[in-house]
Amino acid sequence: MPARARVATVMGFREQMRRPLLLILIVIIPAYVITRSIATTLATPRQIAIPGGLQITTTMKELHGAVMAGTAIAFVAGLCGVFVMQSALAGDRRLVLAGFRAGEAVSARLAVLAADAALVVAVSLAVTALYFQPASWLPFAGATIMIGLIYGLLGALFGAVLDKLSATYLMLFVVMTDLGIVQDPMFGTGTPAQWAVALPGYGPVRVMVEGAFSSKFDAGGELLLSLAWVAALAIGVYVLLRRAVGVHSEVSPRHPQTRIGRA
Amino acid sequence: MTMVMLVAIPVFFVLVFASVLGEFAKALGGTLAGGATSAISAGWAAAFLCGALAFFQVSSSRGADRRLAAAGLGAVRVAIARISAAVALGITVSAVAFVTLWLRSGIAHPAHAAAAILAFGLIYIGIGTLIGSFVSGALEGSLLVVLVFSIDVFSGPAMTSSGGVLSFGPTRDAAKMLIAAGSGQASNAGEWFAVAATVFVALAVSLAAFWRSAKSSA
Repeated sequence: MPARARVATVMGFREQMRRPLLLILIVIIPAYVITRSIATTLATPRQIAIPGGLQITTTMKELHGAVMAGTAIAFVAGLCGVFVMQSALAGDRRLVLAGFRAGEAVSARLAVLAADAALVVAVSLAVTALYFQPASWLPFAGATIMIGLIYGLLGALFGAVLDKLSATYLMLFVVMTDLGIVQDPMFGTGTPAQWAVALPGYGPVRVMVEGAFSSKFDAGGELLLSLAWVAALAIGVYVLLRRAVGVHSEVSPRHPQTRIGRA
Repeated sequence: MTMVMLVAIPVFFVLVFASVLGEFAKALGGTLAGGATSAISAGWAAAFLCGALAFFQVSSSRGADRRLAAAGLGAVRVAIARISAAVALGITVSAVAFVTLWLRSGIAHPAHAAAAILAFGLIYIGIGTLIGSFVSGALEGSLLVVLVFSIDVFSGPAMTSSGGVLSFGPTRDAAKMLIAAGSGQASNAGEWFAVAATVFVALAVSLAAFWRSAKSSA
């Protein structure tokens, strides 16, 4: 990693460490939401379909244990994305004027966002493990990581194009609609509608359900779809943020050794 | 764009969420059913939107409010102006949620339902301003609003039938009134008084929070 990128990344993490309330909330919110929702859900029998076409019978309590981590992660990672982007738009242009490359400043912000997402994923998995044992941890944990990345990046996109209040509203509404209702096997027939595949939560939630209730892995298509969402959003955020903080430099006609910054 | 969200989200919330809230409440051991599910979704939409709105109103206007107060307007008048704006927006959000609810499901006791939805909004204006007066970070503040809202929703009468300390959320009485109105039952004078008292406390807290925010370095 180039020295400037390392400095920008270290500064970004220092900024996070100076906000202890943020770190506390990133731990408390998923811990509370997951614990409370699993504890209060009744063990009512429920039949759902898992990827591969199998129908299984489980309970609402088990289902809530399986999917609640995803919703909590998406909420927190999405809001982190919104405000990491807002901070970047406010401060990183000055870094670029001071000589940093736009890509270096942007990479540092994305590293901070990834660290926030990693923390909320780690806490959510640890709390979930207290109440629920997935049939296969690897796809289950992988799905939570993809949810954190997809919604963190989606939050960053919203943060780039909307003001902070609108972005907050939209983020919470999208998470509740996508993960909280449309993909949630607790509702309806237990299988998402056909059009649900168009939403970002479809792939990771299907992988999560597969990991939760099957020791085999038949969700290859859903995994690829999730990775495609991560890649597309990461490229979109990187390009958008790079353009937003970038400074087109030109050579001063009077002082050729001086480069003039123009946002 | 924010105004569009303030109108669109309550509409979507009532239309989309009402359909699954009955199943969700049943899974959690609550007794929500029929018209009550649509009704409570309107209250929650008003609550969350007003809470976030009030938080950002305090946190983003703190500097300007202090300058206004220092320039001669005074912290009290700045606080009254701010809370008036917050309440006006709260009434707008609540009205949109109420009209959507009425058109979607019909309400047996519309006056009771309207008052309860407005109470949800006003109580969360108090919560949002209180958070905004102590927390300056936008991310921390919005996460705190989410945390309070989550605790309130999970402990409310719509989602649990058990009692205990956690069942005393800030909107407990408003939720009971709204569920009753959605189920075709009127609330009695004691229930109205409990809701009015909670709203009064919330608005007093909100006024104090705006005043504190404007006064700090005036």
